Amino acid sequence: VQPPEKPLESEEWNRLRENFQLPEIFEEVMLNSMIRCNSPIDVAKSLLTHMAKRDSDVAYSMLVKYLALCVQQGHVSEMCDVYDIMKVRFKILEIGAYNLFIKGLSNSDQWRMALTLLEESKKIMIPSRTSYESCIKAACCHQEMKLAFELYHEMLAKDVVPTLDVLQSFFDFSRGMKGAELQKELFSILLYLRDNQIYPHKTFMRSIKLWFESIPGRNWRGHLTNMKDSGQCPVCNHQLEDSNLTEEEYSNLSERIIRDVIHGTDTFRKTSPQEFEAFQTFVENRVPFDIVIDGLNVSHIKPKKMHCENLRDAINYLAKDNVRLLVLGRKHMLLNSSNWKREIMKEMQTKADFFFAENISEDDAFLLYATLRSGKHCKFVTRDFLRDHKACLSDSLTRHLFRKWQRGHQISKAMFFSVFSQQPPFQYDCVVQTTGDTWHIPYKDVFEEKYSYEVPRKWLCIQQK
Amino acid sequence: MQSANMLLKKIVRSSVLPVAAQHGMKRDLFPLSRTLSLSLCLKQDNSCKPSEKLDLDAWKKVMKSGLQEEVSETVSEPQELSSLAGARETLEMWRLAGKLVPENISEEQLKTFTECPSKSAKKKYLKYLYLRELHKKNDKRKMEEKRERRLEAQEQTSKTDETKKSPFLSLWTSTMDKVYNWRAAQSMIFGQPLVFDMSYEKDMSVREVANTVKQLVQSEGCNRRAVDPFHIHLCNFKDDSLYHREFLKHYKEAWGRLLITVTEQCYTEVFPKDKLIYLTADSPKVMKTFDHDKIYIVGSMVDKNIKTGVSLARAKRLGLETAALPLDKYLLWNTGAKNLTLDQMMQILLTLKDTADWKKALEFVPKRKYCGFVSKPVSELKKTLDLVNTLKLGKRREEVQKQFAKNYPKKYKLK
Repeated sequence: VQPPEKPLESEEWNRLRENFQLPEIFEEVMLNSMIRCNSPIDVAKSLLTHMAKRDSDVAYSMLVKYLALCVQQGHVSEMCDVYDIMKVRFKILEIGAYNLFIKGLSNSDQWRMALTLLEESKKIMIPSRTSYESCIKAACCHQEMKLAFELYHEMLAKDVVPTLDVLQSFFDFSRGMKGAELQKELFSILLYLRDNQIYPHKTFMRSIKLWFESIPGRNWRGHLTNMKDSGQCPVCNHQLEDSNLTEEEYSNLSERIIRDVIHGTDTFRKTSPQEFEAFQTFVENRVPFDIVIDGLNVSHIKPKKMHCENLRDAINYLAKDNVRLLVLGRKHMLLNSSNWKREIMKEMQTKADFFFAENISEDDAFLLYATLRSGKHCKFVTRDFLRDHKACLSDSLTRHLFRKWQRGHQISKAMFFSVFSQQPPFQYDCVVQTTGDTWHIPYKDVFEEKYSYEVPRKWLCIQQK
Repeated sequence: MQSANMLLKKIVRSSVLPVAAQHGMKRDLFPLSRTLSLSLCLKQDNSCKPSEKLDLDAWKKVMKSGLQEEVSETVSEPQELSSLAGARETLEMWRLAGKLVPENISEEQLKTFTECPSKSAKKKYLKYLYLRELHKKNDKRKMEEKRERRLEAQEQTSKTDETKKSPFLSLWTSTMDKVYNWRAAQSMIFGQPLVFDMSYEKDMSVREVANTVKQLVQSEGCNRRAVDPFHIHLCNFKDDSLYHREFLKHYKEAWGRLLITVTEQCYTEVFPKDKLIYLTADSPKVMKTFDHDKIYIVGSMVDKNIKTGVSLARAKRLGLETAALPLDKYLLWNTGAKNLTLDQMMQILLTLKDTADWKKALEFVPKRKYCGFVSKPVSELKKTLDLVNTLKLGKRREEVQKQFAKNYPKKYKLK
């Protein structure tokens, strides 16, 4: 439906309505298309007037739609009028209307009203992150940083995840401002990024850089750089934190993997208690390994080659420097078949330790256990991203630990023809980090596609001169 | 004249008149406000007609004027609301805002609603209630239409007044029930056992348990009507469990008269272990033929959030043989999970038992899940695939037209 260009008389609306295929929802459809086409507000008003004359009432949903149009075009006085009408007409409002009011009013000089509306909407439900965003931005805009931070902390306390825009606006609006308290708050935002492994995008990074450089009397200087593989910053020669977990984190992670991934709700789902026990004694008798290989995964690297040949290539490649290998497989690999030749299997078993799980057991769980049990130096080889195992872990903190550990210990390889090219595991930890007089912040380009397992290579290095 | 009519209507509608009349104390206030609103409306009508210029804010005046009396009342009332009443108000506002919210909601449902952990859970629950209400209403409407039609038909037959004479006695449902029950009773003595494993209550949500029981009731119905029914065993069945309560909801007092075996024991205690076969879609073994000497076990579980390997784990723990239906062997699978509903399993097993014909049995797999039977030549399969695709595409065009109605479902469907 095409909304008319100028306000219409009641008769004209009636005529339009009669020509419409479903007259009972005519007004709804018309207002929706007005919002879509961003029609002049007078047209909507004339429709409301028509409705008011006909029924001597305007339905709530129509008012909300009209409100959406006002918000879209920034008519503040209209919003206030609609609010007055709604307040009088209905006992309470619903969260959608509140969101619209807050969004509309926070951009105007009536922004304090948006704050009171936010308070009001808390009585019904937890306000949305966008509502918080508008209010915080409005407060920032009017230099009420304290209020903005109050709202921000309240938001975190309610488990509402802040948008990157909000975090960025804190840095934008406190540029050049003095105050130890303020500085502490902004550092806490950076630590929030660290704890949640969030990477700022390019414009956000620029805001951070400008804020640092604007702190009076501190002489912070920021440089953009690409990190070396060794983890040494090319600008300040500072060595980044390494990717190893702390002793406590490590034992915590191993414990959680055994509990959540291997046992889960029922040990029989992935393995069986007897088998797991047998595997545990097998590992205890032979630890530590240097590399643990997911045999079945590696054996599928080149689809044209026989499975066991793929595996043999991998083992031969990795077995060079006297490292202790463990290959995990399933029992069906021992049956002499077209893909698994007995002689080759025998040959391989002289170079590496093998453990064969039942055909219906999950060997990935064993892979994780054996690697963790062998200690921090041990790496594992698989192309699998292990997402399903990560998902078994019950809280996000452990999932982060798992990702970090995985980044540091997984060797995933791409094979180009007959040459193995190994992608080395990360030596350094890719998170926001500080030593007090330096800050290192990884960031991503805005348009860069990033998968959750990838980490950015670009860094912002900030140091005090 | 017209405007005066409208005004009258308005006064009646705004329902101020009766309310205000009840509250004697406000009587002196009333005439004043009425004249006030009267003058407003008159003014607005006058301003509109002679000059062609529209009064764009007229709606605001209408909204405010019709309500001034009500305001004074609502303010005077005590505004203390309990949480449940508050939730009810919120729901009412959502309904006004055009969200999918049921019109009537019971205290119990309201409580479940307030206990939902998140916003999306609340929305989902409300949508479920809304749709259920819609279905109920539609059913009721259809029933009434049917009754009217029947009455009409009766009138016509009474006019002709000729009762047809049939050489056969008419068989009433009660007679049929007797026959079915006789067969079921026989199956309880001589029939092949079929076990439903009722130990999954902990793995399911309340909704899933309700769905499970619904499917079990349907399976029991199919079985009773079969020529050669199974002897159904519900094993690991705990009295007063959620399963039990749901069954009582469906069967009421008939639950005690049901011709099935319900036991708290595990199937391994009731039957010899080597005869048991656990049917699960996760099994690595594929069923080749239906064995009349074996006892098949079906897990009574509806799995909406894809917990793979739960029933396989159970069979592994007890060291039982497992099997999966040969779906891939006979069907060209299209979409959907390979786990079937309990009543579909029942139909398939009954057909297998009677005919040993896989093709006939697998007819009960939902049509949307597969494209065709593998027994056909490949070219024909391709044809069916193409046909399915064109149908889907053709449908899409229709869908565009329907989308409109979909966006505004409540009024459209209720018609």
